[in-house]
Amino acid sequence: MPFAPARAQAPNQPDALTPVEEFSKQLDAFKKSIPDLNKKIEDSAGAVDRWTDVGKARKEIEELRAIVGAALGAVSDNGAVSSLGVQALNHARTKLRSLEQDNRFKPEEKQFLTDQWRRLRDETERATEELGNARREFAELLRTLQSNEDFIDELMQIRQAQKALEVIQRLTKDIREASDQLKRLIGGIKPPGA
Amino acid sequence: MRALVVASVLLAQASCQPTGDVGYVEIRTVPAASSVVPPSLYLDTFKVEPSKKGTTILTQRVGTTRLATDGAGGQLMLCEIAVKKNRITTVTISVMERPPRCQCRYGNGPSRVCVS
Repeated sequence: MPFAPARAQAPNQPDALTPVEEFSKQLDAFKKSIPDLNKKIEDSAGAVDRWTDVGKARKEIEELRAIVGAALGAVSDNGAVSSLGVQALNHARTKLRSLEQDNRFKPEEKQFLTDQWRRLRDETERATEELGNARREFAELLRTLQSNEDFIDELMQIRQAQKALEVIQRLTKDIREASDQLKRLIGGIKPPGA
Repeated sequence: MRALVVASVLLAQASCQPTGDVGYVEIRTVPAASSVVPPSLYLDTFKVEPSKKGTTILTQRVGTTRLATDGAGGQLMLCEIAVKKNRITTVTISVMERPPRCQCRYGNGPSRVCVS
């Protein structure tokens, strides 16, 4: 019967322990990385599911429409801002009319007050005109969102597909790293005498 | 926070703006600059103020709303407008015709309903 190798008979020798320790260390690291990788795969699958959901694109358009709609609502003719503008304009006009018939003031005082109210009226008119421009712009934007809904939906889907691709690329990188780790682990397995 | 809520309620009340699910109605009167006196228009019970530039945009509760004008024997319905959530429905009123006529961007037909 042949003699067993000296190394196998003397496990406490430092040169016999090093490869075992090294293997054990790499195995531990690999085992630790596997649950992480599994979690990443699960998370990525979930993310890809979300990004390839066609309904999500529709929902995003609806959200966009709600934002534009809210802005249009604020400046619409029966909206809060417009009503305040009309109120302010009516007040300035009424004040101007009443000043013309007011005899309490000296001519120069009356002129001064009239000038002030005229300036206020003109500036309020300009402000309400600007409001009208904003109203037209928001209305046009909402109409564009409506009439190009299908095209915008496709654009949203492209954006989502791009996001899904990014998730897959990230996951591929993680898997490659795990694979390299596994290769190192396997490569480190050297039978005694090899 | 409370002050903000109170201010929002006051603003909504001041503007008579519908709350809840709303959409938008755009009423265009053509020709915008004409010597013809624009007809009185009513969106349900709300009197539409004539606009200098011929376009009025109103926030309206979701559903079907009636656009009417003054007729010989009371209000005369011109058309119905379907208001959808966060969408705008455009209707053009030709003031040269008597009674004025609704021209819808989409819809109309025998049911006289304008849609967005």
